Amino acid sequence: MSKQTGYRRAPDDAVVVRPLDDITLIYHRPSGQTHMVVSPVPEIWAAMDPAVVMDADLVRERLALSYELDEAEEDMRAAIAAHLDEMAALGLVRRA
Amino acid sequence: MIVAPTHRLTLRIGPATFRIGSAWRRPIDQLARLYAGYPNAEGRIADFTVRLDPAGPLRRWLRPSIFITGDHGLADAAPMSLPHGLLAAEMGMNLQMALGWRRHLLLHASSVEKDGRALVMTGESGSGKSTLAAQLGERGWRLMGDEFALLDLFTGHVFPFPRLVSLKNSAIGVMEAEVDPARMGPPMRATAKGDIRHLVPRADAVARMGEGAAPALLLFPRFGHDLALRPVGQGEAFMRLTQASTNYVALGEPGFAALTRFVAETPAQAIDFPSGEAAIELVDQLWAALP
Repeated sequence: MSKQTGYRRAPDDAVVVRPLDDITLIYHRPSGQTHMVVSPVPEIWAAMDPAVVMDADLVRERLALSYELDEAEEDMRAAIAAHLDEMAALGLVRRA
Repeated sequence: MIVAPTHRLTLRIGPATFRIGSAWRRPIDQLARLYAGYPNAEGRIADFTVRLDPAGPLRRWLRPSIFITGDHGLADAAPMSLPHGLLAAEMGMNLQMALGWRRHLLLHASSVEKDGRALVMTGESGSGKSTLAAQLGERGWRLMGDEFALLDLFTGHVFPFPRLVSLKNSAIGVMEAEVDPARMGPPMRATAKGDIRHLVPRADAVARMGEGAAPALLLFPRFGHDLALRPVGQGEAFMRLTQASTNYVALGEPGFAALTRFVAETPAQAIDFPSGEAAIELVDQLWAALP
């Protein structure tokens, strides 16, 4: 398997995360933008750490500690990688 | 050549003070009559300036045509005819609020108050929010505003902006039937927004225009449909309110904090209604069912 891209979560003081009843809002202080996200983005966000570089595989392992993951491992990894890519475009995570 | 405004008036509506200048006397006289019951604002520092200028050098006298300008302007605002001068002044004040106000989160919404709690109604033009607020304002509620609700960034309370109620088309007849004619402005036919007639809010709405209220219910009304009721989730309410706010982006994080608090604490419903009476009955039921 080829080497996966590593990401680091934006610092805690860079965002405000506010769960509502049906979605989660993430306010990104550096850009002043509000992002409306749904599962699994808030879970991925919570599983990451500003101090640790994580790839999709490591994120999946962390998620598996808290959630029952019913998708095949490879599908799950690909889905998480796609979400990490989107989150990087929004400035919520940075490529390490 | 630009002709300097020669007629002036200073108005205070809610927390905002406007200095209005006009090249013509008539719009200022009309404003002075309709805002006679508002607090005297002469000498106060104005938040905004609104000017009604001639659209061209001769347009002060020849087929008089008004160009609305002020601190904040829109480059493509179309000139209006002098008989619509009152509407031009009101639109000018709305424009300054929409583009320049920063002390509250500004929601394009009507609001009314009862027992210290506020009902906020938001929707597109024609949704019925303005007429419904005007009707409730004659039926035991305090009208807080038909156009803008001001959400306090620190307390989360809704504050009034009780300008003249702008009645459009069929709403004009509805309100003419139930208020003193002395509270109505001049009829303005065939404006860009259809027929318009302004209504002066009741004296208590003006006397208490500095008094906010905790939001208790958010409605998304839609006039002209069979009666229907649908709960609105917090995410949808948030999204629709960011679209209904003219300064959400400009306020940054304080605006985010105020709006998330508002949607998290205020139950929201979408209501469809075929008539004002049906809407009022439904509002009373929803209000009575609140915790």
